[in-house]
Amino acid sequence: MESRIIEMEGINKGYRLGEETVPVLRNIRFSVEKGEFVAILGPSGSGKTTLMNIIGCMDVADSGNYYLNGEAIHEMPQDRLNEIRNREIGFIFQNYQLIPTYNILQNIIMPLVVRGMTSREAEKECMPIIELLGISHRLAHRPNELSGGQKQRVSIARALAGQPAILLADEPTGALDSSSGKDVLKLFEELHGLGNTIVMITHDLNVAQHAQRIVHIIDGQLSET
Amino acid sequence: MRLTEILRLVRLNLSQNKSKVILTSTGILVGAATIMLVIAIGTGGKEEVAEQFQNLNAGAIDISYEYEGDSGFGRGRMGDFGGGMPSGGGMPSGGGSMPSEGGFPGGMMGGFPGMEGFGSQQNTEQIILSTDEVGELETGIEGLAAATISYTSRADAQGGDLEEAASYTVAGVKENYAEISNLSMEIGEFITEENDTYKERTCVLGYDVAREMFGSALEAYDESVYIDNRPYVVNGVLDQMGTVASGISPDEAIFIPYETGIKYITGKNVSPTITLVAENVDGVESVMEQAEEILAQIWPNAAFTLSDAGSKMEAASASNETLTLLLAAMAAIVFVVGGIGIMNVLFVSVRERTNEIGILKAIGCSKKDILLEFLLEAACISFIGSVLGVLLALGITPVIEQLSVRVELSVWGGILSLLFGCLTGTVFGFYPAWKASRLIPVVALNHE
Repeated sequence: MESRIIEMEGINKGYRLGEETVPVLRNIRFSVEKGEFVAILGPSGSGKTTLMNIIGCMDVADSGNYYLNGEAIHEMPQDRLNEIRNREIGFIFQNYQLIPTYNILQNIIMPLVVRGMTSREAEKECMPIIELLGISHRLAHRPNELSGGQKQRVSIARALAGQPAILLADEPTGALDSSSGKDVLKLFEELHGLGNTIVMITHDLNVAQHAQRIVHIIDGQLSET
Repeated sequence: MRLTEILRLVRLNLSQNKSKVILTSTGILVGAATIMLVIAIGTGGKEEVAEQFQNLNAGAIDISYEYEGDSGFGRGRMGDFGGGMPSGGGMPSGGGSMPSEGGFPGGMMGGFPGMEGFGSQQNTEQIILSTDEVGELETGIEGLAAATISYTSRADAQGGDLEEAASYTVAGVKENYAEISNLSMEIGEFITEENDTYKERTCVLGYDVAREMFGSALEAYDESVYIDNRPYVVNGVLDQMGTVASGISPDEAIFIPYETGIKYITGKNVSPTITLVAENVDGVESVMEQAEEILAQIWPNAAFTLSDAGSKMEAASASNETLTLLLAAMAAIVFVVGGIGIMNVLFVSVRERTNEIGILKAIGCSKKDILLEFLLEAACISFIGSVLGVLLALGITPVIEQLSVRVELSVWGGILSLLFGCLTGTVFGFYPAWKASRLIPVVALNHE
């Protein structure tokens, strides 16, 4: 329990469609140990995005218990979830989700600025990560001046900036060509080697195979291989 | 998030949309400029009225008689008031017709209520008001504090450093005139009863007259002034009284005893004004009615013009207030339009930036921070507009002054328009900002 980052039990989630409620996630039981690299593999419509939203505290389950890094998320008022997202989760999105009007540096430091640091403090804090990802020569550029692979590096840097409990990646290679995709996956393996906990959601078995453990999701139900 | 960091982001966002900021702030710009000018024009108008009426006794009533049997003279009905100043209009004096002096700059004031002429009757009889009527009115009217009679004329006067005689306004007045008209002395004393009874050639100079002729009040005192080539001893000089509504500014007049003037300057051909002062302002109406009755008994076929100072002052202030109100309403409309403009742009901006808001929420930005960021953007846009508006108002002030409208710029007027501008933008910016802060992160993130 001590080293467990994610502990989910009996998670149900449905969406209302007119009069009916369509179940999306059914009785999910899922856990991730500290330092693990887990892939959640499933076809589109399987409920993996919904699961990711619940893991990422962007959405709440209808029922069930969810502990994230020891905190009972299911008991938490919605207002506090933004705090949890800021502290515990580093999001990496398929389409990068960088803010186009900010330069690269401003994008990377945002999680720390949101946390209450001055941008000067946040910059200092982020420098090792920026060095690690090899994007220090791009800091003054805007996102649209970068290639896809570079943008994903920036978004990974932003995810790492807040030193979260987990990195939560949603189809991180989905928008990339195969060589940049391989680079990103190699980077994930490196980050895993450095002790980061990573949860990656994908529909692609080849991508999922880079993970230490694969969990299948089909029709809102999980099964381990 | 720290406020300084939010401000940094606001600056960053605004600096990337300069043209949008300028266009959005135009409404506020015009609004702020308008409100600044409204205040300036309103203050200017108020000061103008105040200055014009500063010597006015609120309880004063002027009675004059206009001879219409002969149409030879100017009918200066307007402008014959101001502290019970003797009429400067329609005055048949030795020289010919006297145009009324003063008149209103800006032409803000039209006909005045409180000026009761029974104009339908033809005033064919030649009546000269005199001390006899004053006596009758004094004994017959209840609630009367004082009564006096005076007239003005123009005459050539010379004295002191003046190289040649110049035309001056000469006012024939009784000893109580100074008190009734709120005149005070710089030096010496005003016309006395004895001066008048013995038709002495003494005079009291207006402040400007004394300066023109002698350089100062002190130097003028006890000197001689020649009016129509007869010497008059300067018994006193008035304090500087400023400009008055109309009639004659006391600063530019020479005051002489009433009887002296009739004897040496005007002759019998004079049309004086009787000034009555009611004991209190509420009694003005009753005094006017009584005066009309008494005069009707003495001169049954004549129509006298009675005008009370209070209602003129009220009318002048009221017309000024109406103007200010009108301009203020205009400013309010401009602000509302400007505010809606800001709201509109911010709504579009929130839509455009939905994705950005989603990202900010995903990384943990609170509702409060997002609300604050958008609200501060609105406030900054309107602040920029307000500042430009104030500058615009300063810029066009000279143009308005060219149109002979008095404009009194004030610091608090500027501050108020800045405040109003910012407030409008912020108030109208609130709803879009609130909308932005309520966006659901998952939905906002996937918004294309």
